[in-house]
Amino acid sequence: MIKIYSRMFVRSFFIQTLWNYERMQNIGFVFILKPFLDKVYLNEDKKKEALLRHTGHFNTHPYMSGVVVAIVASLEKKIAEDSVTDEKLPDVNNIKDTMAGPLAALGDLFFFGTLRPAISFISIFILIFFVKVLDSRFVDCGILIPFVFIVLYNVVHIVARYRLMFLGFKFGKESIFVLSSFKFLLTLTRRGGLIIAIATLVLHFSAFGLGLNGMFSDSNAQDAIVYGIVLVCSVFVASRFGVTFLFYTIILTCVLISYLGI
Amino acid sequence: MTENIIFLAFIGALCSSDITAFGQFMICRPIFCAPVMGFLMGDIGTGLWIGMIVEMLWINAIPLGVSIPVDVSLIGVLSTFWVCKYFSGFQEAAILGIILAVPFAYLYREIDISGRKFNTKIMRWIEKGIESGKYWQINAGVITGLLFFVLRAFLFCIFAMIVGGWIYFSIYPQLPEFVLLGFKKAWYLMPIAGFGMMIYNFKSVKIPLLRNSRDD
Repeated sequence: MIKIYSRMFVRSFFIQTLWNYERMQNIGFVFILKPFLDKVYLNEDKKKEALLRHTGHFNTHPYMSGVVVAIVASLEKKIAEDSVTDEKLPDVNNIKDTMAGPLAALGDLFFFGTLRPAISFISIFILIFFVKVLDSRFVDCGILIPFVFIVLYNVVHIVARYRLMFLGFKFGKESIFVLSSFKFLLTLTRRGGLIIAIATLVLHFSAFGLGLNGMFSDSNAQDAIVYGIVLVCSVFVASRFGVTFLFYTIILTCVLISYLGI
Repeated sequence: MTENIIFLAFIGALCSSDITAFGQFMICRPIFCAPVMGFLMGDIGTGLWIGMIVEMLWINAIPLGVSIPVDVSLIGVLSTFWVCKYFSGFQEAAILGIILAVPFAYLYREIDISGRKFNTKIMRWIEKGIESGKYWQINAGVITGLLFFVLRAFLFCIFAMIVGGWIYFSIYPQLPEFVLLGFKKAWYLMPIAGFGMMIYNFKSVKIPLLRNSRDD
């Protein structure tokens, strides 16, 4: 059976390949579950019924899909073994839908909203450190920086993805409560990320100085004011109008300042 | 060190495909794909700085639910490609590269949306296959979807690298001095705006599921 689980795990990387507006990850879900259904259903009609049962709507965080797949696989095994009578046949799709939402929220918050930015910042910290502190060795070591990001992120990502599938097999519907007990990880990563962000900002200032190479004024104090304004305004503008708007606004403002000779 | 557009477009397509089509290993993030592009073209420094700026600014650009954000990997890949190919080492040129790459990334987003609509047709084909007992159509459908995804990203990369490169090469030498000075100023301010976005990202992460035990 471990071979089947491994195949399901590898297939989970393709859950979004056929993402569509109508039923989102439905085919990805069927694709992951297929080796398991091939194994447990010996009756072709029942297998077809099971496969069609999972072509309905499904959407969750790609990393968390393993939990739902595992829970559904356990239920399908029971159905295949006829240990569940028709009257007590669980509404598999209902379970899928109720699990998908909270898991998606957890995955988005932890992996995409917290872990990835935190690791990005570690890489940026290393980048600034390499450029300014280890200047002479920078060219040789520069290519390591993106790989630090990828390795750090994927160690957590792949291990979590693998473990989550077995969590689903072990705890079934209770998995969501088990995951909730790890809320300290979310808080820890978030706070760690914020600390790294501030540390990187401090390193940036100490490496490049407060002066903008005389770009805006000769005084460091005035440049510090410019930095502060940009820092605060960027948050305000991006939260209301979006990052692309912020990007072009900065460019246009800088060009205007240059044109006016300020 | 290479300037082979087919090879570089293929690398760009692979990075872009990571967003949804396969894995989500985050090789789509500019902090990875821009330095790799720079390394392949012999100017990793430019790739690293462009990657850092684009990563920090578009930190929240990731598909959540049904939202399809701008393809940030293309911003990183295209801007690094143009800068390394035509005006390597110029900060102003790097800013112009990002300025031009953003519209291309938005254009690709529309193509991506069309691609996802096309996925519905593959989905129906698979469904019919299951109904008629042709289970092999599940695997074939997923492989076809993946190939379509990589192919459209690859073709778009080639198109953007050539057409965008021509626009980029034509525009940059014509820019007046004050515009270049403005770009240089923007180059120094972009990381600061990026830090603002990063700090905002961490501050804005809420924990709705765990609201009872909110500790922030």
